[in-house]
Amino acid sequence: MTDKPKTYIWQALLEKSFNILIPVFAILAAFLISGILIIAWGANPLEAYKALLAGAFGTPNAIATTMTRLSPLVFTGLAVSYGYRSGFFNIGAEGQFFLGALAATWVGITFTNLPGWVLIPLCALAAALAGAFLAVIPGLLKALRGFNEVLTTLLLNYVAIQYFEWALRIEHYRPDINVTWDDKPIKWTFLNWIGVKDVTQPFPQSPGIVEAAELPKLGTLLKTGLLNQLFGQAHWYEEFVANPAVNRMTLAPIIALVFVVIMYFVLFRMTVGFQARAVGVNPDAARFMGINVPRTIIITSLISGALAGLGGSIEVLGAQHRVIPNFLVNAGFDGIPVALIGQLHPAGVFLSALFFGALRAGANKMQILTQVPISVVYVIQALAILFAIAGALLDLQSKIKIARLAKQTEAAGEQPVAEKEVSGA
Amino acid sequence: MTELLRLEKICKTFPGVIANDNVDLSIERGEIRALLGENGAGKTTLMNCVYGVYRPNSGKIFWKGKEVHIHRARDAIALGIGMVHQHFMLVPPLTVAENVILGLPSPREPLLELSKVEAQIRESGEKYRLLVDPKARIWQLPVGIQQRVEILKALYRKAELLILDEPTAVLTPGEVEELFVILRKLAEDGLAIIFISHKLEEVRAICEKVTVLRGGRVVDTVNACDTSARELAKMMVGREVFLKFDKPKIEPGEVVLSVKNLSARDNRDLPAVRGVSFEVRRHEILGIAGVDGNGQTELAEVIAGLREATGGTVSILGKDTTKKTPREIIAMNVAYIPPDRQHTGLLLDFSITENLVGKAFWKPDFSRSGFLSKKKLDLFADRAIREFDVRTPGAGLKAKLLSGGNQQKVVLARELSGNPDLVIASQPTRGLDIGATEYVHKQMLEARARGAAILFVSTELEEILSLSDRIAVMYEGQIMGIVPAQDADIHEIGEMMAGVRRLGEAVGSGEKMG
Repeated sequence: MTDKPKTYIWQALLEKSFNILIPVFAILAAFLISGILIIAWGANPLEAYKALLAGAFGTPNAIATTMTRLSPLVFTGLAVSYGYRSGFFNIGAEGQFFLGALAATWVGITFTNLPGWVLIPLCALAAALAGAFLAVIPGLLKALRGFNEVLTTLLLNYVAIQYFEWALRIEHYRPDINVTWDDKPIKWTFLNWIGVKDVTQPFPQSPGIVEAAELPKLGTLLKTGLLNQLFGQAHWYEEFVANPAVNRMTLAPIIALVFVVIMYFVLFRMTVGFQARAVGVNPDAARFMGINVPRTIIITSLISGALAGLGGSIEVLGAQHRVIPNFLVNAGFDGIPVALIGQLHPAGVFLSALFFGALRAGANKMQILTQVPISVVYVIQALAILFAIAGALLDLQSKIKIARLAKQTEAAGEQPVAEKEVSGA
Repeated sequence: MTELLRLEKICKTFPGVIANDNVDLSIERGEIRALLGENGAGKTTLMNCVYGVYRPNSGKIFWKGKEVHIHRARDAIALGIGMVHQHFMLVPPLTVAENVILGLPSPREPLLELSKVEAQIRESGEKYRLLVDPKARIWQLPVGIQQRVEILKALYRKAELLILDEPTAVLTPGEVEELFVILRKLAEDGLAIIFISHKLEEVRAICEKVTVLRGGRVVDTVNACDTSARELAKMMVGREVFLKFDKPKIEPGEVVLSVKNLSARDNRDLPAVRGVSFEVRRHEILGIAGVDGNGQTELAEVIAGLREATGGTVSILGKDTTKKTPREIIAMNVAYIPPDRQHTGLLLDFSITENLVGKAFWKPDFSRSGFLSKKKLDLFADRAIREFDVRTPGAGLKAKLLSGGNQQKVVLARELSGNPDLVIASQPTRGLDIGATEYVHKQMLEARARGAAILFVSTELEEILSLSDRIAVMYEGQIMGIVPAQDADIHEIGEMMAGVRRLGEAVGSGEKMG
């Protein structure tokens, strides 16, 4: 195996890219089958998809929208897939996401004097801790008492969301103000330290976070950075930077991409991920190999919850800048299909989050231009999940790998052996 | 005229393996037929074709002279074929009668009426000496009785042909004899019986016609009584087998493992190990003999730190390890080969490399501050694969794609490549063919020569006898006696395995038998 013949490099690459190829084919197949539905409905699927695509990627503005939708889904998708891989079926990403958003907002409206480079990481840290806190409760219950985490994480969603709604209705302490929006005097209590409601507004919503806590806009960065020094004089560069869509884009998708890489390393190149995956595929064998299974489950729940919480902070810091009722419903639950379509692999998660983001961003345009209802988007999603799961079951990756390695050893003049275990006698 | 089942040119292939190659077989009513062959000879595959679990690639099956197509087990049952699998298909929380009727309509649909079923079970129980309490719950019954339930299940479904897959694997010698009595009575009543076995002695004991399979083909059908064990072995393996081999005499060294008055419970929280004491020294193999399920597995798990001791102590190289975690014990250079490589020995969905470092990935050899060194892992895996002769096209392959023997080589490579001071081998040859078994034995002897102390648990008496320096026999959680291998008497050991006699008072366990 020391010198690999060059001819098989492509097959090796093919194997490696299967976590991308399966989602791609699943998504294409989903579009194909949904096309039949659109025809039956009486519209032209090609036109519908063209409108969908235009709505998602057609203009810089559309791309900006898609990117905004993608970022939180990457985090919840990573949260769910890390949990799934490690035998901790985290159905609670929704609640963790909401708590993360709440915590990030609270930091962003409380520590208003801090500079951005301190405040942004602090918001993110608070969000991660909040998400991790919510997830570690089921983690501890599973690890130490054998509770089924599917139930506990699912039910804690409601607890978290109710808490979120409650916090939205408790006025946030402001030292400079002592009357509410309708000029009633207000007596601050310690509860107001927890609440996030904007005291100057009648609605249950938080004040906007301070500007320093907002994620930098791409336009702003380009006006000051290295690229500006290089191309600052060029007309096209000025035009590009001045484009409102470019100004709307933030660093959120890039941060999401960074976390995709980080999670790849955690899963496949670090001992934490090795132990977590071992517990995920077979907790008994993992225990027999000396892995502390309960501890691994607890750590997994912390990591998974922290990722979902970070997703909440990305939405607050990068897009909405405040929390409102029903702030971003389903970002957490959507993490489950994102993870499944992405083959529970960080790169696949990014791709399927992009798919989800594009569907969300383009659906309106499709309905406006071709009258195909938005709900078709959910059919496409559901079919993509089915195809992705079916594709994973085929385990083509192993088959191609066997074929390639067998050829390789044959070429090297060794004895090719790829027996399949035969059950029984 | 009385032919019940005929197989003609049955072929069954799996990717890369020919499991059955043009097999012909004919079974008559009232006949007991043994199917003898090594693991992997295709015995179970052939019977699974008859029972509808697999469909043969080609060939014909005739039932009472008519060609039949059996697509699923239900078809086979409808024809009158019953099969008792090696791993019983019973629902533990249900009663015997409930298990017997499972999947069939009740005598009084839609109401569940068990009294009739229970009566019928008692009736056939008396007729064939298959005595079982129909109201007992399966999990409360010993395996020997569970096997009877499986047979009753087939009889209740009006089986005319009964297939038993390795029925004696879980039985004591005494229970085996009882089973044979039952089988004879069933045969007298006109039932045909096929039983699968890889044990020469029991095939000779039941003394009927035996069909020998090797490499998926029928070698011959002979009368077991007229054929010597040696001849049968030769037919089975295709060459002369030397069950005894020369093992260099080495003086045992210091005490590595010392177990004192150890007790532990099994998964059902019942006492499994009861006051066991022994020592194992360097350069020494202590064989633990006994019928499966007499506490050997639990004993090995307690020593490896995987099961809590309820009493007594374990010390390794002078240090008390009774309360240590599995990883702490691994760190003391202790190897443990679990009995079930598919479930607890390997992570089947992990690559070979990942499995090879499964117990050592956290050591500084392979990782630094939480980051795995891919280069070091690959280097180690390549070397281990070469050293232990794992036949695989590559180290990146998932462990589940290897054959059983190669899977066990991966386990051995993981456990033995670090030159352990203590090796706990719990049934390391279970389910392996003769070649792979020989390989495991060789590795054990090499570890012994290098100075390891070895605790070798096996239910196969022959390998215990040929491999061990001393032999301890376990029965119901206690050690019935420890004898040096050179003056071991097989009958004496057999009796101890059945709990009949314990050797002297000076040896082994403390408390009296419960």
